[in-house]
Amino acid sequence: MSAPVPSFSRPRTGPDTEKGREPTGRLYDIQGYSVQDGPGIRTTAFLKGCPLRCPWCHSPESQLYKKQLSWMAVRCLGVDVCGTRCIDACRKNAVELGKVRENPADGAKIRMIHVKRELCDDCGECAERCFAGALYLCGRDYTVGELTERLLRDKSYYDMSGGGVTVSGGEPLTQIDFVESVLRRLKENGVHTALDTTGYAKWEVLERTVPYTDLYLYDLKHMDSRKHAAVVKVPNEPILENVRALAARGKKLQIRIPVIPRFNADEENIRATAALCAELGEAVTLVQLLPYHNWGVSKYLRISDEPVAEAVPPSDEYMAKLKDIVSAYGLPVTIH
Amino acid sequence: MYTFKPYTERVARLRDAVRDRLMVADAVKARLELEAQKKYVKYPPMLQKPYMALYVLERMPLNIQEDEYFFGGLGNKGWGGAGGAMWVMMDIEHTWPMGEDGLYHAPDDDPFYSHQRMAIAPEDVKELREISKERMQLSGGFMAADWLPDGVEELFALQANPSGKKGGWPVYMPPGHLTPGYQNILREGYGAIRKRAQDWLDARKGNIMGDDIGKYMFYKAATVACDGAITLTRRYADLARELAEKASDPAKKAEYLSRAESLDHIATETPRTFWEACQMAMMYNVFLKAENDPGVTSLGRFDQYTWPYLKADLEAGRITLDEAQEYVDGFFLKINTFYGGGFGKNAQTTGIGNSYQHTTIGGMDPATGEDAVNPVSYMVLETMARLDLHDPTISLRVTKNTPKEMWDCAMAASTRVGGLPLLQNDEVIVPAIVRELGWTVEDARNFAFIGCQEITGSGNDYPAPNGSAMGHNGIFWAIALDMAINNGINPINGAQCPEEIRSGYLYEMKSMDEVRAAFEKITTWMMTWSATLNNLTEHEYPRLFPFPNLSISTEGCMESGKDVSEGGAKYNSYGGTATGLATTADSLTALKYVVFDKKIATGEEFLQAILDNWEGHEMLRQIVLNTVPHFGNNDPYADEEMTYVQDLYYNITRAFSTCRCSTYKCGTFGASDHVVQGEITWATPDGRKTGEPIADACSPAQGRDTNGPTAVLTSATKFDQSRLMDGMALNLKIHPTSLKGDEGITKLENLTKAYFSNGGMEVQYNVVDAETLRKAQAHPENYHNLVVRIAGFSAYFVDMTTEMQNDIISRAEHTV
Repeated sequence: MSAPVPSFSRPRTGPDTEKGREPTGRLYDIQGYSVQDGPGIRTTAFLKGCPLRCPWCHSPESQLYKKQLSWMAVRCLGVDVCGTRCIDACRKNAVELGKVRENPADGAKIRMIHVKRELCDDCGECAERCFAGALYLCGRDYTVGELTERLLRDKSYYDMSGGGVTVSGGEPLTQIDFVESVLRRLKENGVHTALDTTGYAKWEVLERTVPYTDLYLYDLKHMDSRKHAAVVKVPNEPILENVRALAARGKKLQIRIPVIPRFNADEENIRATAALCAELGEAVTLVQLLPYHNWGVSKYLRISDEPVAEAVPPSDEYMAKLKDIVSAYGLPVTIH
Repeated sequence: MYTFKPYTERVARLRDAVRDRLMVADAVKARLELEAQKKYVKYPPMLQKPYMALYVLERMPLNIQEDEYFFGGLGNKGWGGAGGAMWVMMDIEHTWPMGEDGLYHAPDDDPFYSHQRMAIAPEDVKELREISKERMQLSGGFMAADWLPDGVEELFALQANPSGKKGGWPVYMPPGHLTPGYQNILREGYGAIRKRAQDWLDARKGNIMGDDIGKYMFYKAATVACDGAITLTRRYADLARELAEKASDPAKKAEYLSRAESLDHIATETPRTFWEACQMAMMYNVFLKAENDPGVTSLGRFDQYTWPYLKADLEAGRITLDEAQEYVDGFFLKINTFYGGGFGKNAQTTGIGNSYQHTTIGGMDPATGEDAVNPVSYMVLETMARLDLHDPTISLRVTKNTPKEMWDCAMAASTRVGGLPLLQNDEVIVPAIVRELGWTVEDARNFAFIGCQEITGSGNDYPAPNGSAMGHNGIFWAIALDMAINNGINPINGAQCPEEIRSGYLYEMKSMDEVRAAFEKITTWMMTWSATLNNLTEHEYPRLFPFPNLSISTEGCMESGKDVSEGGAKYNSYGGTATGLATTADSLTALKYVVFDKKIATGEEFLQAILDNWEGHEMLRQIVLNTVPHFGNNDPYADEEMTYVQDLYYNITRAFSTCRCSTYKCGTFGASDHVVQGEITWATPDGRKTGEPIADACSPAQGRDTNGPTAVLTSATKFDQSRLMDGMALNLKIHPTSLKGDEGITKLENLTKAYFSNGGMEVQYNVVDAETLRKAQAHPENYHNLVVRIAGFSAYFVDMTTEMQNDIISRAEHTV
């Protein structure tokens, strides 16, 4: 026998309800056993919102502060299984019938849905009716206490490995009240802290993190401000001033250079960046060359129908060459 | 990073020969066993067993293969052993193609045989069938239906078999599964052991009173047992001399002559060299399998009992470390050939390629408690990693002082051969053995692993670790929960529990407390029946299956004059395993969340969904899969149900005892039992459908752990692992991208150390990605060296059944 499709809704869960007076922050992900975002075993908290618009961004859902309706095709069970519950739930008529995909397990056809982005206002009512987790609102609010509690769960792993917590984004400095409080609470609990930042903020903002941040994972994208602004939509002067100021304050820096073909991958720019790192002296503990990759493409498809710009990742040989260039400045350097 | 050494050309040749060997079964040994059985049919079992063994050992075919470093086969004409008696249960004549060599060959493309190279001659098939029939008639079955304990039919009726029929037969795991006393044999030698027994007999000739008559039988049996071991060793000495005579290469001739001299020596005396120590341990193992193969006689603390001999050799300049490494390579390649072929359900459960020669390295020194890693410990890992050997299983006992180099070596091995070694935490296990099993601290420090994960003593313990488990009733924990909320009815076959343990239907239960009460009633009844059946078996064991060949090496037996089966060992216990408790825990969480806490569906709706195998209830199932918390994510709401089930398991079994002992050990391990058990487990409240695998061993349910390894490990330390004295297995799949370079390896080490310091007892890592596995599934020919590990043993991935491959692929992936 078969039962009728039940009328129940998925309950609202999570800490979005009943917030106290503490500052709240908005995250799009928390990742445990994060082993490539600083020393040791870490948990990385990914905050939403970023003033930059890097075309190679591999976390497009990090750019906007607002919660965004997301849809993952591989999870969509199709209207033959679910009925039109998500379509019916939308008051803006933004959810419609979409393409057909094949179930990889048995080849069965799955008639999926589609979100008309121009009509969607990210209210999330359709997501509440999607039990498969194909439709979901990306972005979840935490109080300082909630996030700190979550981040402290792995403290024994941080302690054993010389790890800690990395606060990343988006650009975490866009939520400075929240970030400052979280970092302070972590330091009060003896946790090593790292801040992964574009450095694009007023010094007064960045300075608030200085007492509570052990290590900055600091992006340097291009040394030429004109080219910087042309591509990522903001100039580089504040970024360069801030990195010098952090070094002057004795903070430790791990410089991250995303190596993007046809933007900043030329030897001249890498030399100029390395020269700056060398100038920063002992503050720089490591220079990371991060080759462009296209793993983020699938993430764009979750929140947008717009075509995604893709590039060819730099070759291993080229990366090795750049590594030698940086190394020649007496800097510790890794690829990845 | 740890770098593995190169291996010699001879080792490479031997490795290829072992890997590509054809397992040929024949009737020779079975025929000898039948002859022996007829000859000694009127002897009491205590004497019958060693005399039968002696008869077979005097006559069974021996062989020494080209390039071998150590000798000792299991009595087939070819390599190692081949399980012909089991094979002939199949319709070989009609399903195995005949090869040009005149042998039937197991069909290569049949997943039932998983690409194993097995062959047998037509006349051997015929003879083995006849022999099996005749042997059955001579011995009769144990626990015949005629004298089953009263009321057990109520239990059997509930058991489902794969065709879904009612009723069945419980699975008996004979006691066995143990670590023989290799170090005792090496320390004393067969001559001295035999003399001790003979002295006792001589002193009481014609004057045996009272209980001494039992001792007389045992010591007499012990002398025959020693004669068997001596005979086997000397026959190999003779064979080596024959080969020396035929050898034209002077170096080869000298090697054979030297081996012959050594074999003659260790036939009665204690070993003088590392080679002799290794050979003697191997020969004792082969000898044990001649009589009453207990299935699982593991190798124990190989690095500990052989190192003193290597140390002496090195000090005397008799050997170099490289030469010793070559011996260790040769030793484990030989051990690998002890696997004798398997197929179907049985092989699926126990693991294709699993020789059960679990080897323990590292750990504490018994006397001092200091870390006892020595050069042999490294050599064992070198062998496994360099030669891509997945069997035998290796466990590294980790202490707080395990050297950094050993950690690096173990992690490097683990990334190379997949999950090997298993990492076991002495700091938790040793004190737990003292507390739970009552051993002296010195003996506790000397424990070893066998089979999948079971904890045993080193030659002083009769552990019967698979004596009793609910699974041996054919009923598993997840089925018990289905029955608890379904008025005692097993949905897979409609059989119902007796009235007194029924508790009504889910929709009649007003709270989780009532669900738990119903569950506890059924699990207690089933577990207790399981123990009762074990206890009956145990009671008859001394009369039916004494094991003097083992008793001569087991501390306590030679002193007390009692066989291991009579409780003669210094320590006695029994136990069982409950694999896949995460499925049960997640099911309880789902009931709690959906029906009682959030009231998303009524008890009636939920029960109907389960009874309908979730068909037509996909929305509810998706809620269970995606909204309800699951074990393994460091979510207290879900983890507390795992703690509840673990506590229940432990508390129920505190009441168990046999005539031999009153110590019951819980375990959560089980090779790939979870696949086989899943096949006869109806849909469960955690969203799992009928027939799908249940969770494996102590791991989270497949794919339900989405918060990374630290969350899994934290969840797994919320219950008290140190009560799992039968052993536990936690499988964690690690994506290669999280292991880049030295730093990645160091982070994995630190992950393990933190888990261990939080109370973790065991973990094993599978460093593979799903994409590679899918490619391997499509093109097995290109992935023969791909080794994966599942709960307690590892296997070549391409050798596994498709279902198992799919199961591994579906396991949660911890990518970075």
